[in-house]
Amino acid sequence: MSASTIASEIGALAPRRRRRAPPSTYLAVAACVAIMAIMAAPLMFSFFASIETATEASSAPHYLPQSFSLQNYLKVAGYQAGLATYVGNSTLVALMTIVACIALAAPAGYGLARFSTYGKEIAFLILLAPMMIPYQALLTPLYLDFAKFGLVDSRIGLAIIHTILQLPFSVYLMRNAFEAIPREIEEAAMIDGCTALRRLAYIFVPLAVPALVTVALFAFIASWNEFLGALVFMNRESSFTMPILLVSVRTGDHGAVDWGALQASIVLSIIPCLVVYLALQRYYISGLLSGAVK
Amino acid sequence: MIKRSTCAAFAALLLGTAAFAPSAFADSMTMWVRSSGANAAAHLVDLWNSTHPDKIELTTIPDTQMVTKLATGVQAGEVPDLVSFDLIYMPDFMKAGFLEDLTAELKADPDFASVAKAYVDIATYQGKLYGAGFTPDVSILVWNKDLFKKAGLDPDKPPRTIGEIHEDAKKIRALGPDIYGFYFSGACPGCNIFTTSPMMVAAGSKILPANGNDDALTGDGVKEVLEQFKEMWNEGLIPKSAQADSGANFASIFKTGKIGIQGTGGFLLSELKHDAPNMSFGVTFLPGVKEGQVSSFVGGDVVAIPKGSKHLELAKAFIAWELTDEAQLEGLAKNNILPSRPELADNKYFAADPRVVVTAKAIGIGYVPWVYHFADMVNSDSSPWINMLQRAIFDGDVDGAITEARQKMKDIASE
Amino acid sequence: MRARRSSQLQGWLFTGPALLFVALFVLVPLGQLVDTSLTDRSLLGGGRFVGFDNYLRIWRDASFWRALAFTAQYTIVLTPILMGLGYALALLTFDNTPLKRLTRTIVFVPVIIGLSSSSLLWFWLLDEQVGLFNKLLVDLHILREPIVWFVSADLAFWAVVISITWKVVGFGMVLFVSGIQSINPDIIEAATMDGASYWSRVRLVILPLTRRIVLLTTLVSAIGSMLAFDQFYIMTSGAPRGQTFTAVYWIYQNSFVSFRLGYGSALSVVLTLVILVLSALQIALTARSEAA
Repeated sequence: MSASTIASEIGALAPRRRRRAPPSTYLAVAACVAIMAIMAAPLMFSFFASIETATEASSAPHYLPQSFSLQNYLKVAGYQAGLATYVGNSTLVALMTIVACIALAAPAGYGLARFSTYGKEIAFLILLAPMMIPYQALLTPLYLDFAKFGLVDSRIGLAIIHTILQLPFSVYLMRNAFEAIPREIEEAAMIDGCTALRRLAYIFVPLAVPALVTVALFAFIASWNEFLGALVFMNRESSFTMPILLVSVRTGDHGAVDWGALQASIVLSIIPCLVVYLALQRYYISGLLSGAVK
Repeated sequence: MIKRSTCAAFAALLLGTAAFAPSAFADSMTMWVRSSGANAAAHLVDLWNSTHPDKIELTTIPDTQMVTKLATGVQAGEVPDLVSFDLIYMPDFMKAGFLEDLTAELKADPDFASVAKAYVDIATYQGKLYGAGFTPDVSILVWNKDLFKKAGLDPDKPPRTIGEIHEDAKKIRALGPDIYGFYFSGACPGCNIFTTSPMMVAAGSKILPANGNDDALTGDGVKEVLEQFKEMWNEGLIPKSAQADSGANFASIFKTGKIGIQGTGGFLLSELKHDAPNMSFGVTFLPGVKEGQVSSFVGGDVVAIPKGSKHLELAKAFIAWELTDEAQLEGLAKNNILPSRPELADNKYFAADPRVVVTAKAIGIGYVPWVYHFADMVNSDSSPWINMLQRAIFDGDVDGAITEARQKMKDIASE
Repeated sequence: MRARRSSQLQGWLFTGPALLFVALFVLVPLGQLVDTSLTDRSLLGGGRFVGFDNYLRIWRDASFWRALAFTAQYTIVLTPILMGLGYALALLTFDNTPLKRLTRTIVFVPVIIGLSSSSLLWFWLLDEQVGLFNKLLVDLHILREPIVWFVSADLAFWAVVISITWKVVGFGMVLFVSGIQSINPDIIEAATMDGASYWSRVRLVILPLTRRIVLLTTLVSAIGSMLAFDQFYIMTSGAPRGQTFTAVYWIYQNSFVSFRLGYGSALSVVLTLVILVLSALQIALTARSEAA
C-alpha cells in the first residue's frame, strides 16, 4: 500500500468523521491544543533562557525572558575547539553512519524478505542482537580492538560504533518494507531476466525510498546525539562531537552549572535534528507505515 | 634574576632536545586536562607556547571521564605526552604503573623543594615521585560581612570553631525567612570531602584508611562536626534544598547574598567578586572544634607523564618549567590562580586582595588523603562518606552513621 | 533444486555483509567480554583467571539485585504509561486533519532530540533553584510549595518518569497511528453502520487489528527501559544514596568508577542473558498471538 493511497483513503475518512460528530470534534481540538502546549513548553522555556544574559538564566525561575543577550551563544560558540569543529565532526560521523546503515541494511533486509535460506530466523535474530546487549559494556573491548587498527580517535571508528547501535532497527525496517512490496512486481521482473541484484537496485530500492529515508533519519538522529561512545573513543578536542560539548558545558567546577550556556547548547544540539525531521517528515511517516506496521 | 637564569638554562636544554629529535625542528606535545582544571591549565600552556619553540596542544576531558580515558588509553598505547588530572587518583595510577618515574628530576629541582607538602605526599609511591602540583585548588571558609553586620556580629571576626559557626548562623537566620546561617551541598560527596572533612581533620581526626588495616574516621572531630551540622539542620539554619543538592548550587548559592557562612573553594573567589560585586565577604581557614585548629583540603590537578609518552624529555622540561617562579607567577598568579608553592602567596598580583593571600596560604596548611579507591570511598553516589553525612545530619543517627561508614571504608580499602 | 541452491547462496550474499559486521563488532567483543568476566581484571590493567568468582560475587551483590529490581520497577511503571498515552494520542490524532497532523508533529519532536539533551533540559526544569517546573505547579495551585525533586528516591524516580514520558511518548504514538491508518477504512465504516459506539469500535475493531504493532512496540520500549542509563546518569547520578542506580548504571559504576572491569563484565553478561530471556518470552508471545 503506497503512501498516496493511504493519504487519499484518509482524506476520504476525515470529512466523514467531521460531519458525524461535531461536539466531540471541539473536544478533540481542545485536547490537541493542550497537548501541543504541554509538549512544546519545555523547549520554549529552554529557548527563552538561552537568549537571556547568563546572570538572568541562573536566577529565580521566570516564564518569559527578562533580558535579551546572545552572551550564552557566544560563550558556546567559542567553547574549547569552537562550535564549528563539533558541528563538523558530528555531521561527518552522522553521514558515514547513514551510508553504512543503508549499505548494510538494505541488502540484508532484501535477503531476509525475499530469499528462503536455511536459518534465516537465526540470521535475523543475530542482526537484532546489538539491541539486546548493553553497549556500554562493549566499549572497553572495542576500544582495545580499535586501538590496534588505528580506529581510536577516528571519525570512521566512531561511525562504526554508531552503526552498531542503529543497525538492528535499520534491518528490521528494511526487511518489513521489502516484504510489503507485492511479489507480482518482482515476478514480472524475474521473467524479464533481471538478476537479484538488479531487482534490488531498480525495483526494491525505488519502491522503498520512504523506508530508506526513515533509516537515514534515525541514523542521523542517533549518531548526532550519541554521547558515551564519542567520549570514550575520541581523544582530541578537534575530534569531539556535539554531545561532548553539551556535557562539558554542564560540568563546571565541582558540579556548578552555567545554566545559560547549557540552555544555549541544548538549543543548538536540537536545531539540526529539528530541521532534518521537519524537512523529511512526510517520507519518514510513510517509511514507518511501510516498515513498522507489517 | 633567578627567573632569567632558569629560563636561559631551559632554552639551552630545549635546544639540546630539539637537536636530538630526529623528525622536526620544533615538536608538538599533547596534553589532556580534566575540565575543572582546563581554564587554569590553558593559562600555563599559553605562556609556555608563547615562550618556547615546542608547542603543547591541550585537550579538555569531562571530569567524570578522565580516569576511563587514561586507563584505556594507557592499555591501548594511545596516550598524551602530559596529563593533568584530579590529584586524588595519583595513588591508583602510581600503583597501576601508568606514570613515568620523575624522582631524579624533581629531587634535584630547587623549585620543587618549596611545593606544598600535600602535593609531595600525594605524588609519592614507595619512596618515588611521579608528579607535581599543577593547578591547585583549596578549600576555605567564606562569610558574608553584610549579613554579619545586620545580625549585630563583628563583620571582621570570622568564626574560629565549628561551635562559633553554629552560634553565628543562628543570629543570621533570625534576619529573615529567606536568610540562612549556613550552607553545604548535602548530596554532593566531593563538595563535602572538600569543605567539611577539613573541619574534622583540623580537630585531629583522620578520615580515610589507606589500606584494610588502617584506621578510619578516628578521634572525636568527626562526631563533633556531624553533631553541629545536624543541630544546624534541625534548627532550620540551612536551606531545605541543601539535602538534595548534588553540587549544582555549591558555587552559586553564596552569591545570592542570602547565606551567612559556607565552606567553599578558592577557585570561586574571582567568580564571586565578579558576579556579586556589591557583596562584602571575608575569607578564612576552615576551623576545627577548638580555637586555633585549622585545615583545608588541597585539591586541584597534578601534572604527570603517562607511560608511553612520545616526548618524555620535553614533557619533563615542561614540568620543571611549570614550577619556576615565572610560570607560577606569570602563568598562574597573574590570572588569579593559586600557585602550588605557598611561599609565593605574597606576590604583586595578590597584594590588592588579602583574601586571595589567605587562600594561597591555605595550600600550605592543607591535607589530602592518600588512598586507593577514593571514588568508592568518597566520590561515588553511594559511597560510605556521603551515606554517613546524610544519615548523621538528615536522619539524626550520628553514632550509627559513623560506625557503619567506618566498616564500609575498611572493606573498600582492603580490596 | 539448483534454483533453490542459488537462492540460498544469494540470500546469504545479501545478508552476509551485515552479519559480518555484527560478528566483527558485536559478537567478537561479546566474546572478549565473557573472557574478561572470568578474570579479576581492573580498568587499570592486570587480571588473573579467577573462574566463576565474579559470578558467585554477583549472587551476593545486594546492590546489583537492588539496581536490577529498580530497573524492573522503572520498566513496569513506564512501559504502560508510554503505551497507554501513546495509544490514546494515536486515537486522538490518527485522522489527517491539519491540526492533528500538527499535533503529531509536535508530540514527536522530543523523540528526535538526544537523550542527553532532554535529560539536561529536565534536570534544569526540575532544579529547585532555577527550575520552572515547580513554579508552574505552584502557580497552577497543584503544589502549595516547591518540592525538591531529587531529594528522595521516589520523587527522583517520578521526575525521570515524567521526563522520559515527555521524551518518548511520541514514538509509540506514531507507530500506533500508522497501525490504525493501515486498517481498511471499510471495516471501521461497517462497524459504524452497525451502530457500534466510538468506544466499542475502538475496543472491538481498532485494538485487535493493531495488536501486533502494540506488542512489538511494547517489546522495543521495554528493552530500552531495561537498558536505561543516560537519563539516570545525568539527572540523578544514582542519588540519593545509590537508590536510583539502574542495572546498566551499576555496571558502568563498577567497570569505570570502581575500576572492576572483570566484575563489570560478569554483570554485563548476566544482564545480557536477562534481556535475551525477556526478548525470547516476548517474541514467543508475539508469535502465539499472530498464530491465534
